[in-house]
Amino acid sequence: MMGKSSSWVVVILVVLCLATAVISVALRDFSGRSGSGLSESYEYDLSQYEQIDPVLILYAQSAAFDTGLDPSVAIVIRGEELFLAGESQIRIFDLSGRQKQEIPLELPPQSLAVDESDSLWIAFVSHVEHYGRDGKRVAAWPPLDPKANLTSIAVGKDDVYLADAGNRIVLHYDRSGKLKNEIGRKDDNRQISGFVIPSPHFKLAIAPDGLLRVVNPGRHLIEAYTPRGDREFDWGSGAIRVDGFCGCCNPVAFAILSDGSFVTVEKGLVRVKVYDPQGQFVGVVAGPEQLTTSRDTKTISAAFDVAVDAAGRIFVLDTLKDQVRVFGAKGKTP
Amino acid sequence: MPQPQPNLTRRGLFGNGLWAAVVAGITGLSAYLFGRTKQAKTVWQIDPDKCVACGNCATYCVLELSAVKCVQVYAMCGYCDLCTGYLDPDPKKLDTGAENELCPTGAIERVFVEDPYFEYNIKEELCIACGKCVKGCEAFGNGSLFLQVRHDRCLRCNECSIAAACPSQAFRRVPADDPYLLKGAKESKPAGESKGIA
Repeated sequence: MMGKSSSWVVVILVVLCLATAVISVALRDFSGRSGSGLSESYEYDLSQYEQIDPVLILYAQSAAFDTGLDPSVAIVIRGEELFLAGESQIRIFDLSGRQKQEIPLELPPQSLAVDESDSLWIAFVSHVEHYGRDGKRVAAWPPLDPKANLTSIAVGKDDVYLADAGNRIVLHYDRSGKLKNEIGRKDDNRQISGFVIPSPHFKLAIAPDGLLRVVNPGRHLIEAYTPRGDREFDWGSGAIRVDGFCGCCNPVAFAILSDGSFVTVEKGLVRVKVYDPQGQFVGVVAGPEQLTTSRDTKTISAAFDVAVDAAGRIFVLDTLKDQVRVFGAKGKTP
Repeated sequence: MPQPQPNLTRRGLFGNGLWAAVVAGITGLSAYLFGRTKQAKTVWQIDPDKCVACGNCATYCVLELSAVKCVQVYAMCGYCDLCTGYLDPDPKKLDTGAENELCPTGAIERVFVEDPYFEYNIKEELCIACGKCVKGCEAFGNGSLFLQVRHDRCLRCNECSIAAACPSQAFRRVPADDPYLLKGAKESKPAGESKGIA
């Protein structure tokens, strides 16, 4: 009797061992898709910062159209025309998104400005070219030094300003290409702390008050300079909160509304926001939930560009989808 | 006149067959060992362009402390004060306080260079390859931090258990005499800061 019961115990143990083995193999994650098994303290989670209080979102998307460019890098609006730079060409649209003209270029453009006579000033990596509205090249400036990385251009009545991310300096030229002066080089005597450019997003624009506005992304500031290079004032702060500029180096682009308010674009957390002329936070045009659909590397490192029209509409160049997305103030007729 | 037939005995046939088997065995073994030798000239490495820093490198390696470590590409680093690979997304202060650090094991060292630049170094003995800093750096910065199989630690398993669990197929075989894939090596135009601190 004892021998028979011992045999049953052995059988049961063997069956239990086999069942355990089968269950272990079945539950084992050979693909890794069930995650790393690390605790929450090892997670890098930005989801709480991606959510923006709906009350703060003052704009809504009213239209969108494809740029037809891959990549799309810069957007400018002048009057009733919208200019896009990308690939190796400039495309000109009306504000409803109907394409009017294409201007082929020999090299990929990095930035674009349009002057009062509608002629185009195009910044390439290390040189500038001037085109007439008919698409014919008027002038090509000689290339700058090999470190140059021109990321933004602005054109005034007698002035051309270039933001050189490679040398971390703003170059001030006359329209013939003669260098007038440099702006923003570190100078303690003039209270100029110097530009900090961790990544090649270094934008500038001429404001309605006549002063030059330059992003100092590593310091999370928008700084105002006279044409002679005197630093007048600045505004901005680094914070992941919605009223600050997030990450190491933001904003990556901005545009100035007709009332002097600023529309800024950030990367990392892709946010488009509005600040008043003094730099006080006003509200959000669109946040990560409106502008992006994933958190992959390409998405989070994408730098959108922005332009505004006379009616106060905001045109966001979505460099991921190669689309122009048009936003209008909520409650206003588009 | 008919030629005499050679004596083909059963013993002779067996002996010749045995020799043939031995020669074939030696040939096969040589070919097998040669093939093994050729295989041993490649090792596992992570393609930084495919890696998504999922965290599996920390837990799927057969070693208790993973053979994968974070690596800093100094030429790509922005040397930022607000380094998103070093600091929590919403730090209380921009300093070395543990409450501000992103790395759960304190494996990144922050060293002041000059205002406002800081250098960030990886302490490999503390790094567990969770990839948290890699994600932070990629989210906002230049992506100068990335994960790499360190071959002074890797056991060179034939079937790498991290490779099997890698969701982005970032693991691949590379030549053993050139075992490291460097991030940013293919980039044509570096950022301004990549050219060093003035």
